Amino acid sequence: MTDVLARQDRALTPEETEALLRDRLGDQILSSSTDFATFTVWVAPGGWHAAAQLCRDESLLAYDLFDCLLGVDARDDGFDVVAVLYSTSTGNRICLRTRCEGGRDAPVCPSLTDVYRGADWMERETYDMFGIDFPGHPGLEPRILTVENFEGWPLRKDFHLASRVAKPWPGVNEPAELDDEGNVIEREPEVGGAPGPYDLDKAMAEQARAVNASEEDQEEGEGTGDDAQASGSEQQDEDEAPAPELDQETYDKLIAEGKSERIARSKAKAALIKKQRAGGGDTGGGGSDEGDGGDDQPSAAEKAEARRKEQAEARRKKAEERAAETGQDDDASDEGAPGADDEEEQA
Amino acid sequence: MSDLSTRERVHPGSAPGEDFHLEIVGDGDFQTADMKLSIGPAHPATHGVFRIVLEMDGERVTGARPVIGYMHRGFEKLAEHRDYRQIKALVNRHDWLSGFSNELGVALAVERMMEMEVPDRAQWIRMLLAEWNRILNHLMFIGSYAIELGAITPMFYAFREREDIQHLLESATGGRLHFTYNQVGGLKIDLPKGFLRQSTELSALIRKRVPDYHDLVLGNDIFQARTVGVGPLPPEVALSLGVTGPTLHATGVPEDSRVTEPYLKYGEIDVDVPVGENGDSFDRFYCLLARISASLDIIDQIHDHLPAGPVNTKLPKMVKAPEGATYLRTENPLGQLGYWLESDGGRTPWRLKMRTPSFSNVQAIPYLLEGVLVPDAIAVLGSVFFVVGDIDR
Repeated sequence: MTDVLARQDRALTPEETEALLRDRLGDQILSSSTDFATFTVWVAPGGWHAAAQLCRDESLLAYDLFDCLLGVDARDDGFDVVAVLYSTSTGNRICLRTRCEGGRDAPVCPSLTDVYRGADWMERETYDMFGIDFPGHPGLEPRILTVENFEGWPLRKDFHLASRVAKPWPGVNEPAELDDEGNVIEREPEVGGAPGPYDLDKAMAEQARAVNASEEDQEEGEGTGDDAQASGSEQQDEDEAPAPELDQETYDKLIAEGKSERIARSKAKAALIKKQRAGGGDTGGGGSDEGDGGDDQPSAAEKAEARRKEQAEARRKKAEERAAETGQDDDASDEGAPGADDEEEQA
Repeated sequence: MSDLSTRERVHPGSAPGEDFHLEIVGDGDFQTADMKLSIGPAHPATHGVFRIVLEMDGERVTGARPVIGYMHRGFEKLAEHRDYRQIKALVNRHDWLSGFSNELGVALAVERMMEMEVPDRAQWIRMLLAEWNRILNHLMFIGSYAIELGAITPMFYAFREREDIQHLLESATGGRLHFTYNQVGGLKIDLPKGFLRQSTELSALIRKRVPDYHDLVLGNDIFQARTVGVGPLPPEVALSLGVTGPTLHATGVPEDSRVTEPYLKYGEIDVDVPVGENGDSFDRFYCLLARISASLDIIDQIHDHLPAGPVNTKLPKMVKAPEGATYLRTENPLGQLGYWLESDGGRTPWRLKMRTPSFSNVQAIPYLLEGVLVPDAIAVLGSVFFVVGDIDR
């Protein structure tokens, strides 16, 4: 311990380090910050290699441990590259950060492989994930983590996560999309343009979406049926009031036959869906989802939203019922709700 | 090796890599030819889907090219679509032998960005479990490395101890591999009743059993013959490659973030960092074994220090890190694990980079394998302790 403390006494402070770098590299050093206990120095792309070289060779700095190198998506400005260096002799750490030249189309950053051996795989990984070219690197290909014929740059923000495109978030809380007041923003994720999920992904997304839609139809039908049987006609009215979508013809016919209103309604609904399916089949091909299906039938995301709302409603009702049964006051049910959220997150 | 007439022959004493024409050599002369040997991606010596292509001149390895990525699961991308509280379930999967230490890093990084005060008791318990997790990890490698060198028995001993530790951790966390016990702001729940007594007893028991490993493996003549002087790594090369953990300590550099950049309460206790001298396979294994004793020392100190109090803080309804970036490094069992966490102020991270120890350590393999014989290659490969999921993420 004492040895370590003695070493850290000799270490330069962040201000001194920045002054030293500025002295040697002039206006190539742009700015620095020590936010969140992380000493970051912004370097112009032209001074990137020289800065790393200086950090390693200058005896006052002596950053000998190459910790890591990573890319960051910087929105319209392109991409950033960060190199984290550590000095085993002074106990200091520095994060050099630069913005790649070439914008989003052809980002380029000089390679550090001749300064630090460890930059080799780190730069290959950054190339693999962001498509940043590192001139001077002995060989960025073949792609290090993804498969060799992979298309697109996975960690760019315009590369959409296929599973999130295919299926909405399976919980009440959507982690990514909340407005300022904390309300869930419901929006249907778009299938990415260039260079997002390639054709296979798109096809899989379409397929999954179709399967989801049909599953939800079935579940909805079963769900309302069970509810109706369990809790009588009042709740059923509430459930069905916002979406009175059923085949009026079949409904009238069944009522005339003397069937109960409930049975008639659910059968009419099924008939409507059957008709729509048949209509989609006639027009044929994959275009049916976007064509007539899109006009008459709510999309998967809208259905999911409706279902989510239903579930939330049912949960709240249950909690209220439970509170009423046990005779507890409102506080108890308030405590119950966050607990349920936690369980969902862990699941 | 069957058809001599169609095979290229290398002139004895010539440098590898040049082109040679067929040359007639008389019977009895030593003839070799360059060949490529692909080990893996499913080979016992690589314990995981990890492939390494060896270029060989006879029995001697002239070049090695690790091929990784077979287990790439895109955790960094997935983390960008998860709430800060949900990331821990992703990160304890990349290195499946040190789940607790992995999730610890993310929890600490988020807490640092949110400037959250974590209760003392939670910090001490985190240290306690992280050290048990370290021993759990090292025991696995002690067993598997001995198997790679032909000794089956140590594996049984290692798993006897591992099972005891698994039971202990399971009693607190409910998990054996993926603990998900850390939370932003503390721990999921407090330790169960009787945990400290069990932990103390187990610590004494394992301390009593550690000499067995010294006798069985480290002091074994065959083990020494296979490992001493095999695959030496110079400290400056190791640092330049970013090698950390026992592999770095074996080269004589006592760089351990528990000592040099203390997180949690490591600054308040004595942490012993065992180091080697030559950086060879033997030293790497020695450091691994000695770290078990060092961790037991830490565990005993934690038992003396553990305060009473709460183990978690009340989180706001929404966990949002402010805009900015931080880099946090913790000492994982296999080396230093760094998390670069960048936030744009939203509910999910803008970027989460996992700097995993195995990725950097495996980068040293081409250097280490150059010039060694094939049997030694296995001894070297096993001594650069890595978990394949930790390389590929």
